[in-house]
Amino acid sequence: MSTLKKYLKQSATYKLYLHFESYFKDILSTTGNIVQLSIHILKCILKCEINFKELLLQCDRFGVSSLPITLSIVGMTSIIVASQVAHEMVKQGGGNFVGMLMTILIVREVGVIMSGFAITSMIGSSLASELATMRVTEQVDAIDVLGVDSVRYLFVPRVLSGIIMMPFVVILASVVGVLLGAFTSNLFANLSYRAYFDSAWLGLYMKDLWVSILKSAVFGGTIALISCTCGFFASGGAKGVGLATTKAVVWSFIAIVIWDMVFAILFFF
Amino acid sequence: MSIEVKNLIKKFDDKVVINDISFKVEDGEVLAIVGFSGSGKSTVLKLISGLIPYDSGEIITSEGDIAMVFQYSALFDSLNVFDNISFALRERKDLRKKYSKNDLQNIVSQKLELVGLKGIENKFPSELSGGMQKRVSFARAIVTKPNSILYDEPTAGLDPMSSTLIEDYIVRLRNELDAASIVVTHQMSTITRTADRVIMLYDGKIVFEGTPSEMLKQDNPYTKQFVTASLEGPMTMKA
Ligand SMILES: Nc1ncnc2c1ncn2[C@@H]1O[C@H](COP(=O)(O)OP(=O)(O)O)[C@@H](O)[C@H]1O
Ligand SMILES: [Mg+2]
Repeated sequence: MSTLKKYLKQSATYKLYLHFESYFKDILSTTGNIVQLSIHILKCILKCEINFKELLLQCDRFGVSSLPITLSIVGMTSIIVASQVAHEMVKQGGGNFVGMLMTILIVREVGVIMSGFAITSMIGSSLASELATMRVTEQVDAIDVLGVDSVRYLFVPRVLSGIIMMPFVVILASVVGVLLGAFTSNLFANLSYRAYFDSAWLGLYMKDLWVSILKSAVFGGTIALISCTCGFFASGGAKGVGLATTKAVVWSFIAIVIWDMVFAILFFF
Repeated sequence: MSIEVKNLIKKFDDKVVINDISFKVEDGEVLAIVGFSGSGKSTVLKLISGLIPYDSGEIITSEGDIAMVFQYSALFDSLNVFDNISFALRERKDLRKKYSKNDLQNIVSQKLELVGLKGIENKFPSELSGGMQKRVSFARAIVTKPNSILYDEPTAGLDPMSSTLIEDYIVRLRNELDAASIVVTHQMSTITRTADRVIMLYDGKIVFEGTPSEMLKQDNPYTKQFVTASLEGPMTMKA
């Protein structure tokens, strides 16, 4: 019996099982942490326990320092899509719908999703590594020992800045995307600006804008919350900081796609 | 305020790190905790300060603040020295609105003077030497006038003169605040200069308790091995 057990414990299947078990446990505990922290953060916000100076700093970091990257990524994606679509549609006699298609695509999906990915790789990773470094150098412990609520001090301004700033970033990025779409269509398919913007107006509803703003606020808060949580619970020196940062980016990407699916089903189905 | 630890047990996963230890530190007393790396000294301090939960036993501390000076200073590297030292006064719920900007400036400059670093309010931690960082972290820890102070290897890695300075602050603070202090250290000079009593940890248990001079008598096999830094004796280094 014991030799069988020993044999089983050395088998690759068992190791694979162990691997999945620890993976699964990690997913459960991280999810639990995120839920618990959101409740704590919500309480702080409701009680207006907000450090406004810190909030301003974080807003600047989240919304302003990330703009060049976000605008370029959304802008370039729009150029790529327009260059593929405009020529083909004009050829098929659908030139009047290019503006509509581009605008709906950008406002509903491309602007928000691509901004989310850009912000995750830029701000999410920096939030995670910042908090992870503070954790492994005992700065978080120092905050706690000094009697200060570390979640209030670290999380509230960061998560709030994500919720506040992300909509502005997305609106700006979407405007840039729509404009570059018009420019590209004009250049590649000889589509007039007039035809593009007329159909863009026609295709765009207020609901699209509101959903886009709501969605971006949710994305911004989610990216900040996940990234901060992954950093906050880091352990084990430089390696731990690296692991936490990777985890923050992967989890944020997945969360963005899941949220996007939820929104698509809730609002456009 | 005194600190009393009774039958404390702490496990990490299934590994018992602190295995049923008890001791007491009175007001105005400095207790040194010695032992090899990995013997659980930092863990004891983290348990007392409430940073990590324990599995069983009791820690009794009377009213008042507990301060901790961390092994690697743990200064907030995104804040300057002023913001570091005034952190608790600016951010703690019960202290937040109590101090004006002027009060804070006075308190910070007074604490900086105490640790011999006047006028460095606007410097960032990365601009300071290791010894200066330690002294700033000292100032930050005592800003709330704590009733007990925990020091994690306060003199490790410092040059002899900086060590002496730190040792003097430990004694001075004990006298001024009448605080109960615990000093975790490897350094004999720190033990002899600051401690009233010493306990030695090995494998999660207390293997010696006595005064510094009793420790130097070397009639306990554990302290003998520690004091002579010998590889031969009851204790083996674990990887
Ligand atoms: N968070 C933790 N998780 C798991 N093991 C830990 C943790 N913290 C400390 N340990 C283990 O507990 C033991 C004691 O650590 P520590 O208290 O830091 O020792 P010391 O300060 O005496 O060098 C070590 O074996 C260490 O590996
Ligand atoms: Mg230690």
